[in-house]
Amino acid sequence: MEPSFLFGILWVVPCAGAAISLVPRRGVEILASLIAAALTVAISIILLVLPISGSFGYFYSDGLSRIMAVTTSCIFLTSVAYSVFYIKRIKEPSVRFRWYYCLLNLFAFTMLLAITVNDLGIIWLAVEATTVTSALLVGMERKRTSIESAWRYTLIVSAGLAISLFAVILVYFSQGTLVISNLVREPLKNTIIMSIAVGFALIGYGTKAGIAPMHAWLPDAHSEAPSPISAMFSAVLLPTSIYAFVRIFSLLQGTPIVFEEIRNLVIGFGIFTALLAAIIIGYQRDYKRMLAYSSMENMGIILVGFSLGGIGALGAIIQIVSHAFAKSSAFYGSGNILIEYGTTRMIDAQGVIGRLRATGYLSILSCLSITGAPPFGVFLGEFLILSHAVQSGNLILASLLAFAYIYAFIGLNRQAIRLIFGQSTIGEDPIGDSLKQPNHSLVNADKGDVSRSKVVIQSRQENRISILIPLVNLAISLVIGIYMFPTFLQAATGLGP
Amino acid sequence: MVIVIPFYDELVGLLGISVILSALYMLGQAYIDPTIRAIAIQSFIISALLGILFLHTQDANLLYLAVITGVMRGIVFPRIMLYQVRRFKHKLRETGVGKKTPMLVIIGIIIAIIGYALFKSILFPFLPNTQLSVPFILLLLGFFLIITRRNTLGQMTGYIQEENGVLYIGALIAPGIPLLIEFAVLLDILGIVLVAVILSAQRDIFHTLEPSDIDQLSG
Repeated sequence: MEPSFLFGILWVVPCAGAAISLVPRRGVEILASLIAAALTVAISIILLVLPISGSFGYFYSDGLSRIMAVTTSCIFLTSVAYSVFYIKRIKEPSVRFRWYYCLLNLFAFTMLLAITVNDLGIIWLAVEATTVTSALLVGMERKRTSIESAWRYTLIVSAGLAISLFAVILVYFSQGTLVISNLVREPLKNTIIMSIAVGFALIGYGTKAGIAPMHAWLPDAHSEAPSPISAMFSAVLLPTSIYAFVRIFSLLQGTPIVFEEIRNLVIGFGIFTALLAAIIIGYQRDYKRMLAYSSMENMGIILVGFSLGGIGALGAIIQIVSHAFAKSSAFYGSGNILIEYGTTRMIDAQGVIGRLRATGYLSILSCLSITGAPPFGVFLGEFLILSHAVQSGNLILASLLAFAYIYAFIGLNRQAIRLIFGQSTIGEDPIGDSLKQPNHSLVNADKGDVSRSKVVIQSRQENRISILIPLVNLAISLVIGIYMFPTFLQAATGLGP
Repeated sequence: MVIVIPFYDELVGLLGISVILSALYMLGQAYIDPTIRAIAIQSFIISALLGILFLHTQDANLLYLAVITGVMRGIVFPRIMLYQVRRFKHKLRETGVGKKTPMLVIIGIIIAIIGYALFKSILFPFLPNTQLSVPFILLLLGFFLIITRRNTLGQMTGYIQEENGVLYIGALIAPGIPLLIEFAVLLDILGIVLVAVILSAQRDIFHTLEPSDIDQLSG
């Protein structure tokens, strides 16, 4: 089968899913989106398995783009499936459900377009188009903070991306083409202009990827968007933007001296982001914001990995994939908690394990996974990046990375343990009004004496879909870690004397 | 056939200064209507600049670019935004800057001077084209316009101004950039403008045009 045909289908399927979602018949949007997402998963896996690299007309394929296409498709599928459970529980949606599914399909399409197209200009366009398609998804819940977050996201990201358009123009000015396959083949004509272009691309695409200090939109959008959308943002949108930057950045590799200087700048931004996020995580009061900062920390580390190259870049790719599955699992779990408690404030949702036993255990495992606990894939990615920093003799960078890993691990998991296993405030819950809710039953421990009675909360049977989907994603993150274990052993032995 | 334009440099310089003046005028507006009209005029001036560049270089791409810039940025986007202002007339009038406008204009002039100095010292050695200072300053003033407004549509004008700057840079240094991309960029901005219109209506419903009390979105 022709590779360009497969790539074409990969683009067409989510567009068709979006169009069919608008048919005004009950249930069509869910069915169309599920089929479209499943087809994109199937096609992207075929593309990954087939050894096809290079350019095919409008399409560009290499290891990175194919792995990212599979990740994006899988998260798209799980987000659609989780939306079936989650989205109908939104009390006051700002757009109709069929529009939600239409935009979700288009959102996936724009990301797949950015990952597989053979033109830097179209990549810019696709990354910008992700903003257009996802802004209304962020503001899906018709409340003040959601709408405000959606607008902040639209404005900050669009203003930032205009700078990366300048970078794309500079690439064209220097090389006379924007076609990736030509750019990769030809030597650099103007190294200085290309260095400036990489600098502008770092600011522009870095804004979208949540690289500090351009990250202002990220925690707001992640915390206010519906959980399936937060999962897609964190798992695949941020890496897509990193991918767009890496495409421009990697062009400098032909000129070692300039590459070295620019690389230090990129590493600086990456490590600053990781450290800032690692420090902030521990002070969050909102569990979705906490997960958002964790994404920021991971993106900083991934940027460092790509800048280091070699085994560091391999670590970055492993981290992108395993973080995508683990973080989406964490966000789906947070969706379960949000539905149960009606709040994202940690203090009001403490003691999750008492009400949602399965979600509680899933969430704590997801949090361990995203912070790099072995044997999950994120651990392996982080370890490879760290080992490359040590091997290249950059001990300051290695110590800063280790500090970020440990600080984020302690900060996030301490908060997560408090949220999941903490003392439930159900008795004096001011907003939950728990006694009136049908979701949980309260059993009087001492029926003889009401005044001295102790309230015991029974966990309830949870919706199977809401557990199964995050469980599958978490399992995939675990499998990646185990599958790549030989690489870990190789890197670990390479660190020895 | 190359058309010799009399006073080409002076004409381009004069129009460039008009673009900067329109940006400063926008900074000085306390109401949304004149800000949107000013962005339309600014887009027409840039369209004229592109037309002159076309006559000078005979690059057909620049002519197409001039036409679509004039139509989309000069007419379509401002129309959409003005329609929204008329729909929510009483609430979308203010830009949210109150009586600070004279100060903003002065800061804008200072930014323009600093922008010129930055351009001359950093970019000019590698991009030796004096005209490039105009879009560079426009880009900076666009950012400044965004951060000084609280109104959705006011911020949107800042974004379009910023895009105008990038477009002009592109036309000056890389006029051969595929037109398909320029079209796509315009469609993309159209999408952003439509999102802005939808969200501004929602924000209006929630009375969050002056969002000073949203303390939940912090930390």
